[in-house]
Amino acid sequence: MKELKRYGRLYKVFVAQFFKYLVQSKADFFIGLMGFFLTQAAGIAFLYLVFEQIPTLADWTLPQLIFIYGFAQIPRGIDHLFTDNIWMVAWWYVVNGQFDRYMLRPMNLFFQVICEKLQPDALGELMVGILLLIISLSNGVITVSGTKILLFIISMIAGAVIYTSVKLLFASFAFWMKVSGPVLYTAYQLADFAKYPTEIYAKGIRFMITWIIPFGFVAYLPASYFLKPGVSAWSTIGVECVLAVVFFAIAYGVFHFGTRAYESAGN
Amino acid sequence: MKKGRWRIYLPFTLNEIKSNLAYKGSFYLFILCSCFGAFISYYLWMAIYGSSETGVLGGLTRNEMILYVFMTYVTSNIVNVGVVGYIENDVREGAVVMNLIKPIDYRLSLISKALGVVVYRFLAPSIFVWIGLEIYKVTVLGMKVVSVKDALLYLLSAFFSVLIYQLFDFCFGLMAFVTTYMFGLKMAKNALVGFLTGQLIPISFFPEVFQKVFDFLPFSSMIYTPVMVYLGKYSGEALAAVLLRQVFWIVLLYVLGTFLWQKITKRLIVLGG
Repeated sequence: MKELKRYGRLYKVFVAQFFKYLVQSKADFFIGLMGFFLTQAAGIAFLYLVFEQIPTLADWTLPQLIFIYGFAQIPRGIDHLFTDNIWMVAWWYVVNGQFDRYMLRPMNLFFQVICEKLQPDALGELMVGILLLIISLSNGVITVSGTKILLFIISMIAGAVIYTSVKLLFASFAFWMKVSGPVLYTAYQLADFAKYPTEIYAKGIRFMITWIIPFGFVAYLPASYFLKPGVSAWSTIGVECVLAVVFFAIAYGVFHFGTRAYESAGN
Repeated sequence: MKKGRWRIYLPFTLNEIKSNLAYKGSFYLFILCSCFGAFISYYLWMAIYGSSETGVLGGLTRNEMILYVFMTYVTSNIVNVGVVGYIENDVREGAVVMNLIKPIDYRLSLISKALGVVVYRFLAPSIFVWIGLEIYKVTVLGMKVVSVKDALLYLLSAFFSVLIYQLFDFCFGLMAFVTTYMFGLKMAKNALVGFLTGQLIPISFFPEVFQKVFDFLPFSSMIYTPVMVYLGKYSGEALAAVLLRQVFWIVLLYVLGTFLWQKITKRLIVLGG
């Protein structure tokens, strides 16, 4: 308990430090926000243009697809906001020996990696996600209830944990490969498949994004619980939570194991 | 152009090909990633055509759309090779000074480098994807192989596209002299380019008004034009018109780049330079 309190206090110190940096570079913040916003806006404009031509896509209506799309953005945004620094481990920290300074401090290594940076650009993703959910809700795609709101929040958190786990797992390969950025990037890009109903893909792809790198459980599958009657919460959000815990345990294990294999760059 | 100039700029191109060969691992992963995008669009379009009653969307049949998706992939692979990364690095490290004192044209040296990447990407994987697509076309779709004339016209148009993109990217890259946060700007640029070039969705899907506006922007000349040339959608005068428009953009962006470069080097301050 005392330990936990200490980490809470440390996190506050790190975040405060980060906000000082943020107010210094307001222009950068808005440019980044705009970048994320435009990327997502293009994806949505695509759906609008397509639905000019067809009434439904594989039995999904436009508001439903917008719901899935928006649903996919939020866990991604949450993960992005809090753990963006993991990318640096994959690209730089191991290969140029900067990971040394984490090893020297008497603190949990994973905690140190993630608390060093908040990625405010991610607010762009979160804003788009929430905006899209509001648009689709105003079209009446689902009826809101207390249970659903609760399950929604749980699913968002579990989804963010899955994202973090995938990032941590592939970034940890850097301890052996020195640079694992390209591998991590490849795995992360798979998430793009999950923005659309996975049933449109061939079996092999569907299996891969459901069970091997479970991005399907971050977006489409839990979203379908809210959209389709008769889909049980256990088989979607329940499995999502289990996968989140299992994947995080694996990723954290590999990370922990990797830090022992870490050897600093000599100078 | 004097003959001697080739000798000056060719090493830039060759060096870039060599360094691309040296980092094959990350290169192939990059290719794999960009393939994801093509396959997502492929499956998405198949579902879209499956849900449509007419079978022709935005002036393209289902088979033409398959060709469109993969030829867009082939084309964007060689066209979307920018120079902004080089400029960013040079500015950040102050190396841009070295380029200013050397008797070479900075822009030409950057484009020579980028052309090295283009050549490499054309050989791996673009040409193979293209050949694969032709085989698929004949065996599965039951269509004819692309005619030599269409193939050559496509290559010409794609070459123009490469130049347009790089000249555009140079103008854009000069932003690196003004702001240090290129990450967000590049992301915004990629989103816009992906959308307006027809990479994400054929321009013919846009409402008429938008199409008219796009005629006055360089983007559709970057990807949409060569792919539509490949599909044989233009003939006679229309074909000449779209190719001329590409040439027009090359000239205009070249002049614009020269002008901006003069403006920006005047106010350049390099730390410790």
